[in-house]
Amino acid sequence: MTELTLKINGEDVTADVEPRLSLADFVRDHRRLTGTHLGCEHGVCGACTVLMNGEPVRSCITFAVAADGTEITTIEGFDDDDPMTMLRQAFHENHALQCGYCTPGMLVAARDIVTRLPDADEDRVRLELAGNLCRCTGYVGIVNAILSVIEKRQA
Amino acid sequence: MKSAKFDHQRMVTLEEAVAALGSADGEARIMGGGQSLGPMMNLRLAQPDLLIDLSRVGGLDGIEVAGDTIRIGARVTHARIEDGAVPGVTGAYMQFVASGISYRSVRNRGTIGGSVAHADPSADWPSALLALGGDVVIAGQDGERRMPLDGFQIGPFATGLGFEEILTGFELPTLGEGAKCGYYKVNRKPGEFADAIGAVVIGSAPRVVCGATEAAPFRVAAAEERLAAGVAEISVADARDMIAAQDPGFDDYDLQIHAVALSRAVGRAFA
Amino acid sequence: MADGGTGPGSDRQGIGERVLRKEDKRFLDGAGRYVSDIYLPRTLEAAIVRSPVAHAENLKISPPAGAEGRFFTAEDMAADGVQPIHVVSKFPGHKGSDYPHLATGKLRFVGESVAVCLADTRAAAEDLVAGAEIDFNALPPVVDMLAAVEPSAARVHDDWDDNVILDSRFDANAENVSAPVSVTRTFRMNRQAVNPLEGAAVLAEWDAREDRLVVYSASQIPHILKNALCECLGLRQNQVRVVAPDVGGGFGYKCVLLPEEIYIPWVAMQVKRPVRWIQDRREHLVTAANAREHHYSVTLHAQPDGTFVGLEADIIVDSGAYSVYPHSNILESTMAGRTLHGPYTFSAYKVRSRAVATNKPPIVPYRGVARPGICFALELAIDAMARELGREPYDLRMQNLVPPEKMPYTTITGGEFDSGDYPEALRRSADLIDVAAVRARQLEGEADGRLIGVGFGCYIEMTALQTSAAARAGLAAIPGYEQAHVRLTPDGGLEIGVGVQNHGQGMETTLAQVACEKFGLDIDMVSVRHGDTATSPYSTGTYASRSMVMAGGAIARTCDVLGENIRRIGAHLLQCGFDETTISGARVVGPSGDVSFAEVARVWHRNPEDLPADVDPAGVEVTSGFRPSPDKSPFSYATHAAIVAVDPELGHVEILDYVISEDCGTIVNPMIVDGQILGGALQGVGTALFEESCFDAEGQPLSSTFADYTMPGSTHLPNIRLDHLVNPSPLTEFGVKGLGEGGAIPPPATIANAVNDALREYGAEVSETPITPRRVRACVVAKS
Repeated sequence: MTELTLKINGEDVTADVEPRLSLADFVRDHRRLTGTHLGCEHGVCGACTVLMNGEPVRSCITFAVAADGTEITTIEGFDDDDPMTMLRQAFHENHALQCGYCTPGMLVAARDIVTRLPDADEDRVRLELAGNLCRCTGYVGIVNAILSVIEKRQA
Repeated sequence: MKSAKFDHQRMVTLEEAVAALGSADGEARIMGGGQSLGPMMNLRLAQPDLLIDLSRVGGLDGIEVAGDTIRIGARVTHARIEDGAVPGVTGAYMQFVASGISYRSVRNRGTIGGSVAHADPSADWPSALLALGGDVVIAGQDGERRMPLDGFQIGPFATGLGFEEILTGFELPTLGEGAKCGYYKVNRKPGEFADAIGAVVIGSAPRVVCGATEAAPFRVAAAEERLAAGVAEISVADARDMIAAQDPGFDDYDLQIHAVALSRAVGRAFA
Repeated sequence: MADGGTGPGSDRQGIGERVLRKEDKRFLDGAGRYVSDIYLPRTLEAAIVRSPVAHAENLKISPPAGAEGRFFTAEDMAADGVQPIHVVSKFPGHKGSDYPHLATGKLRFVGESVAVCLADTRAAAEDLVAGAEIDFNALPPVVDMLAAVEPSAARVHDDWDDNVILDSRFDANAENVSAPVSVTRTFRMNRQAVNPLEGAAVLAEWDAREDRLVVYSASQIPHILKNALCECLGLRQNQVRVVAPDVGGGFGYKCVLLPEEIYIPWVAMQVKRPVRWIQDRREHLVTAANAREHHYSVTLHAQPDGTFVGLEADIIVDSGAYSVYPHSNILESTMAGRTLHGPYTFSAYKVRSRAVATNKPPIVPYRGVARPGICFALELAIDAMARELGREPYDLRMQNLVPPEKMPYTTITGGEFDSGDYPEALRRSADLIDVAAVRARQLEGEADGRLIGVGFGCYIEMTALQTSAAARAGLAAIPGYEQAHVRLTPDGGLEIGVGVQNHGQGMETTLAQVACEKFGLDIDMVSVRHGDTATSPYSTGTYASRSMVMAGGAIARTCDVLGENIRRIGAHLLQCGFDETTISGARVVGPSGDVSFAEVARVWHRNPEDLPADVDPAGVEVTSGFRPSPDKSPFSYATHAAIVAVDPELGHVEILDYVISEDCGTIVNPMIVDGQILGGALQGVGTALFEESCFDAEGQPLSSTFADYTMPGSTHLPNIRLDHLVNPSPLTEFGVKGLGEGGAIPPPATIANAVNDALREYGAEVSETPITPRRVRACVVAKS
């Protein structure tokens, strides 16, 4: 077991974990933050995307011990976050989700796009979204939602 | 799909890490960002007994220009390179390559050193850096040594690193303003591993690499000669002959897409 | 529409309105609750020992060290009297075979369940799996469906005399099938995996308070799963409750019974603790490589003027090793044989269709069920005929589509198209894609050396499988009258229970819209409950594009009954006659005043002393049902059109433009309709270009990670242009037709036709999905 100290959604957390425990399983099974979803566990689908020190990472292929000393933000930790509030509303209005399984990871990735690439056009948004799989929507609603937030943030 | 058990040791100094490699029971692996090793461990395709974590080791994430050399630490992430952390013409080339590696959330943790040490034939850096040329910097029990990128990768997932050595960085040439670079990756989805790679860097002399093979990426001598002679394009048909001459064991389709990648990389270099 | 409608001044939220989804918030907050999000105390995690080979006998299993009481095999289940999954068909000649939950003696596909390992964590359970040893005598595997029908092939089931599960003939006027112009082609649609982003998931415990087994499963069909659990485990119906909570996509994969859904609950009963199994992606890609895989030899016969005469085909469907509950292993082959004609008129039909067993996972009814394959085969044959005749493919289709004046139209195989204007859908998509502009562009050529092509794909989809069709096949689940339970709550709202299951379709919103249409109440006052056998009416579940037709119809009919009861109470409170009342804006309106639903509800629930003496004691809580009458299915249809660019050097295909003209009858919620079509279309693009579950000659799966199995992504399809025709179905409430699957049906045909149009100067034709660069290059090279 390895001791682990980190901040999750602003809360200080200390835990003793098996080194093989993934960050995703840590936030889900140990912290019961079940909004972080596992879709492939090999880093392709993006459902498990969380922020580590403000940057999106794959929590399924990041061991919890590698998150020692970091600040993690899961989908449950964005209540006071303006870009996320805008994205949630835009996803709702643009029918950017169906089954909802990819949605938390998609939102975290989308937040990265609108904050890191404030001028992204449709092609760029689609390119950046290649790391997040959605089996339901065909991406049209997701792309439109992100573009609408980019536009609002430019105004 | 959960990793098999392993021990985890967090190192503070390189010396400690090298010593840990030497004294480990069973298989010890160095973990950088873990973005290549993580999936393989989850699939239990890799089952190291000990994971040596370098994330606390100082001095591995620098980018320094010293004369005609750029020294890049092994732990520099793809994302930093994508965002332009490496200066000059070399940096612009590397920026383009980095932006096509996997996805941003992987690039935020994946490292250039990890990628080259992992030596997946379909990964970008082994081919891209071979085209650039320069040295790999290696730490071992006898201190630091250098190996040229030429010959560093010896096969799929195999390099010239010794069992008790750690890849700590790269010394890459600072390309002049007149240098030309082109990189062409054949894949069907942005971020996926390559089906074929063509990498062309024309600095002091042309270097042309055929990558994403079943083995290590290799330089295409005939293509380099052609470019050295001042020709600014290579047709797909010629590229096929040039690659085939080096006997890569491709079937017709693989030969074709590698030739197209090479031809288009040349095209990009002169665009 | 009905006598209710929405009151003046209120925002309409009924049929036809773009109402935003009620279910979105929990998903956006990360608060959805999927099976893997449910934590029960003392839960053990399961990992499964699976077959490493495609075909073997004399299976012997040695438990891993340290697994006492934590390791279970078929022997243990048999000792407890557990029955295998037994699926038969009424079709004469159908060969039956039981699907063992855990393998008994013989192994029939890689990934087949062999034993269950339990531990406190999934990782520890996987450690046990790694320590289990299994021994067997390997047998030659039956991997390819064409080889499987050869007399020399090894047999998947020892007691069968060949591997043909069912050999069906669908002949009509077969002796006149020939005509002066004929084209013959073979086509193959390869196997793929369904890949909902949430895989299968089961959590089970014996709940002592409820005194029954409670099974949480990511299922589209909780009631059917309950039936299966009772049948296999020998439990009474009142001893089982199945809950399908939030489900992360289904697409047909989750409308069949998985062995895990039986043996995980059984194991939970043995260890007297909750047990969960969460399918991981590798398990999905290996064990759920179970969709599509059809082979066609097609001959299309036509008059020199292009009039279609006869259709001849020999169809083989690779149905895998077993028959799945409840839909069996012959749904695809019989549907393919019966409806290969698509939306076109034929005067003769000579089609043979065989379902064939192989050493691969059992086939499941993935979105579109057989129709992506038949659309691919027929539509490519039509383009080949167009090239043969020197006709525009669009024009040749127009000549042969069933015209609107012939509706309702009886097909050559006895099916009935209820309504629609098929040529208009084609006309509109052809206008939108602008065929003339494509032809002009082709003459100019592309600066980048790519080749441009345009392609069409037309289809019809029988939605909401009718009772008689399912009964004819003798399926284990035959849909009858769908029911809804509607309760007027004490505050004047509605709580609606339905037996279908919502896993992305937006039914918590669209089914509520039905009630809003009837009563004009605010949608916030309507809740749709589903996915729990304890609280919902019996239903065969969500599949076959049936939920809006059936459950929507049931809600409408039930609201009609409930509305009368509400009006009776309202009339008493208004001191007027029942016949003088109507319902509008959630109020009972009389000649001289009105009374709100809330008031009626208050009186019924809280002040029953104010009720009329002769009030109907059934009150304000009603269950009723619906089935199309007569017992027929509404047919949706569409034409898809695409422009593609083919890179002849690499073989890569890029979709430049894509349009869809479709008719799903009356549109309940245009936003949701668009979402269903767009999502389906991208899945169709996956079938067309990317997705393939490859096997080697030994039957080993080669596509077991997303690195080896390419999913369609955000860059693979430009914004589709959607166009809607609305021809209401005469069979259903409001004229709705099913819609969930259609988007996925014609993209393989449409894209392949566009690719072949682009390659026509080479004389090359692709004939196999996915249209990979390697396959395109092979076509180009062969013709160069």
